[in-house]
Amino acid sequence: MSSKTMWILGFTTAALMLIATLAVAPRLSANPQQATTAEVKIDNFSFGPATLTVAPGTTVTWVNHDDIPHTVVSTDSVFKSKVLDTDEKFSFTFTKAGTYPYFCSIHPKMTATVVVK
Amino acid sequence: MSLNPFDLHYTVLAKHAQHVVLIHFPIALLITGAAFDFLSQWTKRRGLADAAYFNILTAAIFTIPTLATGLLAWRFALEGQKLKGLLLEHMVLAWISSLLIWVIWATHFRARKRLGLPPTWRLWIELAAVAIIALTGHLGGFLSGVNGPG
Repeated sequence: MSSKTMWILGFTTAALMLIATLAVAPRLSANPQQATTAEVKIDNFSFGPATLTVAPGTTVTWVNHDDIPHTVVSTDSVFKSKVLDTDEKFSFTFTKAGTYPYFCSIHPKMTATVVVK
Repeated sequence: MSLNPFDLHYTVLAKHAQHVVLIHFPIALLITGAAFDFLSQWTKRRGLADAAYFNILTAAIFTIPTLATGLLAWRFALEGQKLKGLLLEHMVLAWISSLLIWVIWATHFRARKRLGLPPTWRLWIELAAVAIIALTGHLGGFLSGVNGPG
């Protein structure tokens, strides 16, 4: 293989890799799993979304939109909020992958899950 | 733990459900006792006064486990953290209504000991106690999520 052909192959490969990177990058940044923050709304005696999937390192904030106090308590004792009155917030940063079920300790029927992967 | 209404372990050790059950007793007994007392005042019938006394006595006795389970619910569900908003209002009103029930019972008890009639002003306290315990129950209903979906 001549030196010229080597140069052409090398240049073409580099160009293809650049194009591929540029094509994939916007899709990666648009993926919600890459967001560093996420919000869970507490409203009408439920957590929304009921299952939230986030990437490791994401900080999840729960906001109580109900007129009733609620809490956010991890079933596995990973995190636990104080009583949240209307419009009060609680945040927790998930550093490890896993499934984190949680509930409201005042209303144990209110349950939801954060999936970190 | 799977929920079974006939599971003794769950029934006895349910962390805070007992409060929601027990609170109905002092509310109903006080309202019934006050109704009998108003009727006894109106009709002057001793039997109605006796019925009023024993309903109010039982209501007063039931305030003890009701308050105790409420405090246990605070301990178990919220780990005794400082209360505010509706939770604080519910607890303060619960203490006030319990105190009023005991005052009403004491008024009746003293009158019965003297073999006389209790003072008329106790009827106003009974009305106030019924209103306050109803408000306490109303807030408790909101807090329990009975107004929520499902």
